[in-house]
Amino acid sequence: MSPLLLAQVALTLFVFVMLLSSAAVMVYVERKVAALLQQRLGPYLVGPKGLLQPIADVVKLMFKEELRPRAADALLFTLAPIISATAAFAAFAVVPFGAETTFFGLLDERVRLQVADVNVAVLVIFAIASMSVYGIVLAGWSANSKYSLLGGLRSSAQMISYELSYGLALATVLLVGNSLSLTDLVNRQAGTWLGFIPRWFIFVQPLGFFIYMTAGIAETNRAPFDFPEAEQELVAGYHTEYSSMSFAMFFLAEYINMVTVSAVATDLFLGGWHGPLLPESLGWIWFLIKVAALLFFYVWMRWTLPRYRYDQLMAFGWKVLLPLAVINLLVTAAGVLYFGL
Amino acid sequence: MLSPYIPIAIFVVVATGFALFTLVFSGLLHPEKYNKVKLEPYECGIEPLTDARDRYSIRYYLVAMLFVIFDVETVFMFPWAVIFDKLLLFGLIEMLVFIFILVVGYYYAWQKGALEWV
Amino acid sequence: MPPGISASDFYNILPELVLTSGALVVLIVDVLLPKERRGALAWVTLLAIGATLASLVPFRSTHVEVAQGLLAVDQFALFFKVVFLVAAAITVLMSVRYLEIEGASPGEYYFLILCATLGMMIMAGGIDLITIFIGLETMAVSFYILAGFIKPSHRSNEAAVKYFLLGAFSLGILLYGMSLMYGLSGTTNLRVMAAAFAGQETDARLVLAVILVVAGVGFKIAAVPFHMWAPDVYEGAPTPITAFLSVGSKAASFAMLIRIFLEGLPSMGHDWRLLFEALAIITMTVGNIAALTQSNVKRMLAYSSIAHAGYVLIGIVAGTSRGITATLVYLFIYAFMQLGAFAVIVGLRRADVAGEELKDFGGLHARNPFAAFAMLLFMLSLGGIPPTAGFMGKFWLFSAAIDAHYNWLAVIGVLNSAVSLYYYVRIVVFMYVKKEALGSEPATSPTLAVVLGVAVAATLVLGVYPRLLFELADASARTLGAAGVTTSLR
Repeated sequence: MSPLLLAQVALTLFVFVMLLSSAAVMVYVERKVAALLQQRLGPYLVGPKGLLQPIADVVKLMFKEELRPRAADALLFTLAPIISATAAFAAFAVVPFGAETTFFGLLDERVRLQVADVNVAVLVIFAIASMSVYGIVLAGWSANSKYSLLGGLRSSAQMISYELSYGLALATVLLVGNSLSLTDLVNRQAGTWLGFIPRWFIFVQPLGFFIYMTAGIAETNRAPFDFPEAEQELVAGYHTEYSSMSFAMFFLAEYINMVTVSAVATDLFLGGWHGPLLPESLGWIWFLIKVAALLFFYVWMRWTLPRYRYDQLMAFGWKVLLPLAVINLLVTAAGVLYFGL
Repeated sequence: MLSPYIPIAIFVVVATGFALFTLVFSGLLHPEKYNKVKLEPYECGIEPLTDARDRYSIRYYLVAMLFVIFDVETVFMFPWAVIFDKLLLFGLIEMLVFIFILVVGYYYAWQKGALEWV
Repeated sequence: MPPGISASDFYNILPELVLTSGALVVLIVDVLLPKERRGALAWVTLLAIGATLASLVPFRSTHVEVAQGLLAVDQFALFFKVVFLVAAAITVLMSVRYLEIEGASPGEYYFLILCATLGMMIMAGGIDLITIFIGLETMAVSFYILAGFIKPSHRSNEAAVKYFLLGAFSLGILLYGMSLMYGLSGTTNLRVMAAAFAGQETDARLVLAVILVVAGVGFKIAAVPFHMWAPDVYEGAPTPITAFLSVGSKAASFAMLIRIFLEGLPSMGHDWRLLFEALAIITMTVGNIAALTQSNVKRMLAYSSIAHAGYVLIGIVAGTSRGITATLVYLFIYAFMQLGAFAVIVGLRRADVAGEELKDFGGLHARNPFAAFAMLLFMLSLGGIPPTAGFMGKFWLFSAAIDAHYNWLAVIGVLNSAVSLYYYVRIVVFMYVKKEALGSEPATSPTLAVVLGVAVAATLVLGVYPRLLFELADASARTLGAAGVTTSLR
């Protein structure tokens, strides 16, 4: 095996493990931050400061009995969590998280810090993001439970509604960056204006960033848009009937989707791995900091904002966000034309 | 160099493998005790009377139809946005016309109440 | 502006742009107007059609290709565009009364009529398989909805579903043939394709492509054996839509047929002539014989319309300039007599009476002499009796066939016309001879009177003085093909 190929395989596995552990970390962080926001302690018994809590959770889920309602569609019921998890992982495959590197001189050639460098990465992300709705809608339908079905329907309607604004926000960035490759787009954001403002697209596209994040939160079914699993109405939404590790798969998928949305937002709007002070080879540290900040924002939102009403959610998506995204796209196009960004 | 899509395929295989492995592995660990009532779908404690796959609101269907229309529109905008620096004013005008026609449809759908949820 | 497109391209599709804008205006006005004043939409629609007709004027002698061979703007297309627009206008006039009786909301109805017209115009101008297909889809999808527009009526729903399913199926076949044509020639442009196929040995795959496209087009023009949808759809659809479907959609499909076969596949002429010859004979015969037994007039006219597709195919088979001229002339004349006949049926429609049965025509002469006279004229014209326009049309078609040495095709055509007289005259007998007034008073309205007046005038004038029409059609038929040099697609 050539060292390059080895590096690629190692990188693939590394990304995979990182994603898994990020989900574990998020479980902990979510509970800890929630506790802090509500002036509680949060998990503190398992391990130092409760750090081993996620592992305890997984072990508990492993030993739980797995139930499948009698009337459920066996094949789809089993398939749904797998689809959810796979789609969640797959989207991250094209996200670059660092500049080209030789791993401190270990390799002769430079490799990119990402699983796959495709020149249409934005399209791939858009495509795979729309795949995740399958897992949810199949889970909702196959269980043959009313709560599941309603949850699945609601989430599919919500996800496809917000996918439009999500896509339009992506298109706006393409307009500014003139490329479908995330690496190119990140590299367009290197350097500064006037010596101190970083050339991040968020400064050109504040509205685009807002639309992207809002749609992203809705796409990942997180509060204040967490209707598919609105506990008070639907028990647990599409995964009401799931238990044990199948349930864990949906949980995992949700957290990984959050990470992906944050990572893509970082690449598209926050300059990716570009940042002051650190040399480019250590840019991934900046990347991690930015993603962590966005994830914190996610958790913060969840415990601060109350849930919308469903009709408000749909009205907001169709009557506010979508027109806003279209106008933003056109204004940006005019701006690009006028200022020649 | 490998085709850039092969790593994605590997990644997908790894992810699917992981999901399958976890499910099977936990299947070996956890207990299975049969209980008829336990396998009923969760409702409210009373035995469910009807199948869950009943008729549901037509609204979901409308949303799906609208989505198809506007999603295709979005997909049209991707290539347009990428080569906008070559199309320039012509591209902007073309897109304005395109979006204008869509806006007419959007306005129509709005007025006909297709966007109302209640 | 990117290469390949110029400002003149946009100028050349001005009529289409006008019609599109008109359609959008209708859609907007529909939601702006309060419900009880939506009847005004018909006038907005007529205005849009009128504006489009006016915008055709500067293109009287234009002969260019738009956007590197996507559309042709020539007199051939112009001729058809006029037919479509006139048919659309008459349909709209007919619909005013009809929608009132049916109590249907007019909004999308007029919008869809304009959309269908737009699709037809694109089909007539298309010299690229993609453009033709887009036009065809625009037209077909509009008609699928229009056929089912009377929502409470089961028959209307049945018509829509049948038309949709069979239409989608036939489009699939057509598309498969088109993809073979593209695969074998490497281009979707018909003129480039003709050059690519010229002088080639006959390829079995190309024969398959021809068969598939003939089948696909056959569905659209309702030629036997692809006619099964036509009677049910014609009977179930709202009457003005049936009229528009049998005139507009048919003419557009013939325009498409001429473009595809005469412009794109002249090298396969031997094969497709043979196919169309067979189709023409079966279509005429089956259409006429099936019409003999119908007691529902809409259904009878459906079979008659099938038979007429067979007559028109004779002109295509002849394939000479004279044959194509005859085709154009016949489609033009056919538009008026067919629309007129359906207008009479619309007039007979009352809240409690369908007005489509043969007995509803009983004693019509006593109740409404003008309507009866108009119907008499349309029936004679459809049957091909002088001095009506239908006679001139048929005369020209059959003489073109004889001209191209298809003598026996002409003979079969004449025999068929004789057979068809039986069921056309039967209606006349019901109207004039049967005295018992079974039907109710026809519901006349000014718009319907205008329609009847125009159709009667056209049927008579074109029967007596057809020369101008012939000259126009002849000039149009001669513009088929590229002006000067064939442009290549990239």
